[in-house]
Amino acid sequence: MSFSATQVKDSNSLPGGDSTSRLVLQMARRDISTLFRTPWIIISRSLAFIVQLFVFAYLISGFVVKFPNYFEYYAVGSVVGTIASISFIIGYDIFEEAEEGLLDYLLTLPISRRQFIIGRALGGAVRAMIYTIPMFVIVAVLEKFSNPLSLAFAVFDLFLLAFGVTGLSITMAVSVRSANRFDVTLALLELAVSRASTALYPLAFMPGYVAAFAPYSPVTFAADSARDVLEGTGLNLLGIAGLLAFVAIFLGLGATFYFRRLEGGVYA
Amino acid sequence: MSSTSLVFRVVERDIKILFSDTFLIGIMFANFGIDLFVTAATFGNLIGYSYFLRIAPGSNLITAMVAAFQSGRDIWREKYIKDLASYLLTLPVPRRLFAVSRIAGGVVRSLIATFPGTLVISYLYGILFSPRLIEAFVIVGLFSLGIVGLSMSVSAFASSIEVFATVRSAIQLYLSFLSTIFYDVTLFPAIVQPIVQTNPMTWAMQAFRALGNQGSTLYPVSILIGPSVAFALLGMGCYLWYARL
Repeated sequence: MSFSATQVKDSNSLPGGDSTSRLVLQMARRDISTLFRTPWIIISRSLAFIVQLFVFAYLISGFVVKFPNYFEYYAVGSVVGTIASISFIIGYDIFEEAEEGLLDYLLTLPISRRQFIIGRALGGAVRAMIYTIPMFVIVAVLEKFSNPLSLAFAVFDLFLLAFGVTGLSITMAVSVRSANRFDVTLALLELAVSRASTALYPLAFMPGYVAAFAPYSPVTFAADSARDVLEGTGLNLLGIAGLLAFVAIFLGLGATFYFRRLEGGVYA
Repeated sequence: MSSTSLVFRVVERDIKILFSDTFLIGIMFANFGIDLFVTAATFGNLIGYSYFLRIAPGSNLITAMVAAFQSGRDIWREKYIKDLASYLLTLPVPRRLFAVSRIAGGVVRSLIATFPGTLVISYLYGILFSPRLIEAFVIVGLFSLGIVGLSMSVSAFASSIEVFATVRSAIQLYLSFLSTIFYDVTLFPAIVQPIVQTNPMTWAMQAFRALGNQGSTLYPVSILIGPSVAFALLGMGCYLWYARL
């Protein structure tokens, strides 16, 4: 939703020439700068995080007697849920660029399609990280997480989730054609992946029909892995493997769909 | 053509727009399903079944809110994306009547989108086969009236979709978390309590809970009318301002 006419600078002007990584980074930089040009998104998501943590989680944890330290549990999960939510925004950008005709301009840039797609996904993930880090710091301070290695691993988990969700969002943006449909489908997907996961509540308390699927949600992988490493339980290899698979699948799918739409679809 | 028929025509158009994509209605019901059968059910397991029943109507009212905002979004799209506003204003319908009709259209759309959800909540509250089912629909309709008004106000002033989405998110936060969906008003700090008590969601929830307790909905509904009508008037005023040439 954050349409911007930010242009990709002429890559030839960059020191180091047109190396693949430089072009990918150039694309990513464009998406990162787009986020800062749309403060509305930052304001609304920050407000949502603050209200959810300091109003909802604080008040509701008083009712939750079956699970001790629910506030602490929720706090980590809310950061994971927020990063998933913000990573979805890249899909709105791509959809709007296609609607507004900006995509045609982007395709004339001296950059290969593959670099273009990876750059978009990377930019979406990095900007989600930039946005979420202050929230992560708030939670780390609240819960007194201080081990630098644990914090680094948790950030890595969040980045993997962001990268995968970005791919998922790109896949959706290029698969759904109606603006209304896209808006509500993405909102539903966002709701489904975060609610049917262990981000906000433990698996043991979910109804059976949700508990059967929740362990396979990418948000569950990230939330469990981040909690394990932050609480010193150990490295959750299953969670990390799940996240890596999620990234590989959806980045691949996103790229495939994007290619199809670019080369033979409505924008051809 | 009489005023009533004109209103019906405009409302009919809004309903047709809703049904032009039944997928959207399905998605709204899916949203309701996730809210109720995933989130509310899990909190019910964490806290107790009575808590599930307590928060259950919130899932339906949140769906009503989403549907009501969809109406505002359509109006926004008519102006900025489809460039339909000028055409609509040339129709032989007086502006005020047109504004009232758009609000009525939004309320009807909301009632349609929440129809299955209202039935589910009524079933949970044991009023599905009782005349009190009508009261449940009246509560949803009144609540939607206010939210349609709010969404029309936002659509009149939002210059971009980002602004519209941001204000919508802020209103959704206010309705969801600064209301009595999840907790009692007394749990809030004293300074926040007036905000919670003037929240239409608070009174819609109280009215639903009264239905569940076999109590009278007269008091909460009569209070709900206040903010709902005020927001609807605000929406009408903003729409008229937006419709001036």
